[in-house]
Amino acid sequence: MENKHILSSFDDDLKKLNDNLLKLGNGALTNFDSCIDNFGTQDIGEIDKVINGDIILDELDDKVQKLGFEIIALRAPQAADLRRIIVALKIATIFERIGDYSRNISNRTKLLVELNYSDLPGVNIGKMGQKTITMIEDVIDSYVNEDDKLAVKVRNSDVKIDKMHTQYYLEIVASMQRNKKLAPTGAHLLFIAKNIERVADYVTDIAEQVYFLVNGTVLSDHRPKADESSLIIPEKELKNEN
Amino acid sequence: MENIKEDFKNLDLTVGDVFSKDARLKARNVNVFYGSNKAIDNVTIDIGNKEVISLIGPSGCGKSTFLRCFNRMNDTIDSCRIEGKITLDNENIYNEKIDVVPLRARIGMVFQKPNPFPKSIYDNVAYGPRIHGLSENKEHLDNIVEESLKRAGLWEEVNDRLLSPGTGLSGGQQQRLCIARAIAVSPEVILMDEPCSALDPIATAKIEELIHELGNEYSIVIVTHSMQQAARVSKRTAYFHLGKLIEVGKTKEIFTRPRHNQTEAYISGKIG
Repeated sequence: MENKHILSSFDDDLKKLNDNLLKLGNGALTNFDSCIDNFGTQDIGEIDKVINGDIILDELDDKVQKLGFEIIALRAPQAADLRRIIVALKIATIFERIGDYSRNISNRTKLLVELNYSDLPGVNIGKMGQKTITMIEDVIDSYVNEDDKLAVKVRNSDVKIDKMHTQYYLEIVASMQRNKKLAPTGAHLLFIAKNIERVADYVTDIAEQVYFLVNGTVLSDHRPKADESSLIIPEKELKNEN
Repeated sequence: MENIKEDFKNLDLTVGDVFSKDARLKARNVNVFYGSNKAIDNVTIDIGNKEVISLIGPSGCGKSTFLRCFNRMNDTIDSCRIEGKITLDNENIYNEKIDVVPLRARIGMVFQKPNPFPKSIYDNVAYGPRIHGLSENKEHLDNIVEESLKRAGLWEEVNDRLLSPGTGLSGGQQQRLCIARAIAVSPEVILMDEPCSALDPIATAKIEELIHELGNEYSIVIVTHSMQQAARVSKRTAYFHLGKLIEVGKTKEIFTRPRHNQTEAYISGKIG
């Protein structure tokens, strides 16, 4: 937002919108970071903080939607201003969804603690989570600095998360097949891995919005994808690997 | 992947496509001077057939001066001098042999403030066809008046009081009467200089709807200070600044992703 508007109250409105959006984005990042951290530490008090704190993200999303709607109605924004508001409305909803996934991961982590969860071979939720946290940090940076190159880099990095998800999916199913008692744990782990994979997908949506904000055009090429978990039968894949 | 914000240091270069495949009016390297003051600086643009184009820009940018070049309204200003070339259907309108009276029938004009003649509603519309000898008889003239008032969306409101003074109508009705007067002489182009700036929102909406309909028959060039009006009524928009034509483009592109920083700043309310 380099040049100031003649009408300073318009700048005030845009700043308010942006401040709340960044609060929401940083809140979503903090909650996701915590839920990954808590998966390792299994600290129930910290897990509950994420679960109970999600409502703050919901409220911030509502605030951004209301502010954006009012600015469109009262200011009739044009060009970059219009793009900024449309993008803010879209990515606020995405950040709110990331918060929902963090809460869901936290709920499942609580159950895993009850199930006396210990690591399954070949599955590293912490590593997958950390890579996704970096993606969220970078996408927020790309928005703040209007850095479309960084946004494209973030978008293309999702393929690593997809590959990890496919791999973990196979490993978790294999563990469940080896030891049926691990089925409840495995089921929750499958959902947690899938939730992280979806969060990374959402980050790519934000990256695409940042590109649109900066350039006024949508990224024309198709996003690289590598999550094959919905396309393969684990037994076959495992046999092929062996 | 490159940023669309280009650094246009050479402001003589208009951004966007100034040309039109089916141009009726062509302005080429037009300069306008008021005494020694250059009001229009090397402007080149086409106005397409049956095209509604908006000219926008801050006060004093030259958009109205440029509009008035199209029907030689600037001829009435002694200190005004025009260079370059403007053609209507490839005929130079500044040729010495051109008679401005029939030219102004072919290129009609509607002004900011409604200016009906102090005559009846009927005579306001009939005036042009009479002086240009366009009517064969009274019945024909009646038809022209009725048809023009209908096309201007005014017939239903005035058909029972055609002999009442035009000045007795509301502002919005007077402006539509002026549009009826302009179209009564079968123009090819209609120039509008801020036609709604003195009207309320309802009267404005009626004029805008009329512009939309008339755009199917005429080329319309409209100067407006209202960004929203330009966005609503025109298919193409031209942005002027300090006498230069900065950018021309499809209206939907100008208002969503203008290419020139100055256009962006103006439509976003960052320069006045």
